[in-house]
Amino acid sequence: MNINEIDKFANSKYGPWFGLLARLILGGVLFAAGWLKIFTPAKSQMAVRAYEVLPNSVANFLGIFLPWFEVGLGVLLVLGIAVRLSAFLGGALMVVFIAAISQAWARGLSIDCGCFGGGGAIDPSETKYLSEILRDIAFALLGFYLFRYPLTRFAVEKLTKTQGDQVNGN
Amino acid sequence: MATSSSGGDKFTRNLVIAMVALVVVVGAGFSYFGSKGSESAAVPSSVSKADGYGIVFNADVPNVPTIDIYEDFQCPVCARFAGINGATISKAIEEKKAKVVYHMLSFLGTESILAANASACAADEDKFLAFHKAFYANQPAENAGAINATFLKSIGAAVGITSEKFSTCVDNGGYADWVKNVAEAGAKANVNSTPTVFVNGKELDRNTEYFNVEAFAKAITG
Repeated sequence: MNINEIDKFANSKYGPWFGLLARLILGGVLFAAGWLKIFTPAKSQMAVRAYEVLPNSVANFLGIFLPWFEVGLGVLLVLGIAVRLSAFLGGALMVVFIAAISQAWARGLSIDCGCFGGGGAIDPSETKYLSEILRDIAFALLGFYLFRYPLTRFAVEKLTKTQGDQVNGN
Repeated sequence: MATSSSGGDKFTRNLVIAMVALVVVVGAGFSYFGSKGSESAAVPSSVSKADGYGIVFNADVPNVPTIDIYEDFQCPVCARFAGINGATISKAIEEKKAKVVYHMLSFLGTESILAANASACAADEDKFLAFHKAFYANQPAENAGAINATFLKSIGAAVGITSEKFSTCVDNGGYADWVKNVAEAGAKANVNSTPTVFVNGKELDRNTEYFNVEAFAKAITG
């Protein structure tokens, strides 16, 4: 599928409906992922430290901040407000996660991604890096689709086209 | 490609964005300060701030290795670890062959905090090890509501703690702030899993030394 076909699809009457689906999936996932972690900050901090990338103090800060950030992005996406910005941030966040999980895999660490709570060191036989990466790639693609085609059905914020390369679905 | 918001919508949009941003910042701040320890927290006897607020045995015995053990009362692997190596550790403490520091973490949730608090109450009665052992032998399912004051007092009673003081201590959660201090020190010590055992600051080999009685005994006594 080349870019023209994606453009054509996004500008068809199905585009905004797919956009709605993308918003609900990405937003719902971000909200759930954050929500499952905000009540156990110590565990979430542990999950970030386990990647062994960041200095301890930065990892501990992110362990507290990231879950709330995910909840915030999730709310904006589900409501359909500032879709371009929140989809871009959500997609970028997924790219960061993919990089973090990949380096853990490459270095032979045995950790749980801690994406939906949990996290930290686990038995090597319990790692599932490939499925975690594939899943995050799918979410990242949804994010970048929405960044490029932010006109979606049932968004609280009504976008109007100014250049008309995506049919206004509202 | 460029899109824009229609006039009256702009205000609502910015208001919602601002509110969401505010919730994120306030929420993160709440999480941060809520999990932050306090210098003035009440600490149980035999706790040393220099040892990460852990419960210390044989603090003054010279020339023995220091063994730091990080656990969470709700972690099933910790129960398994205690079942396998508990006797070795108790023996090393009794024979003064090692300085042992127990760090009871609480990352698995509120019931871990209740259990850690009760273990501190037991430490005040010189019964930490007995309480610890009895708890793991009867470890309930994680965050199922089973770890409550009644359960914790029954564990205490099973190891001969019957004092009013213990009972009040369990009920009041008087060491809850200390539990936060332990958690915070564990985070600073970069402990990412439970159980985690350090001998003189060096972590044991997770593949060979954690769940083998002989290998563990050899590792902690050198």
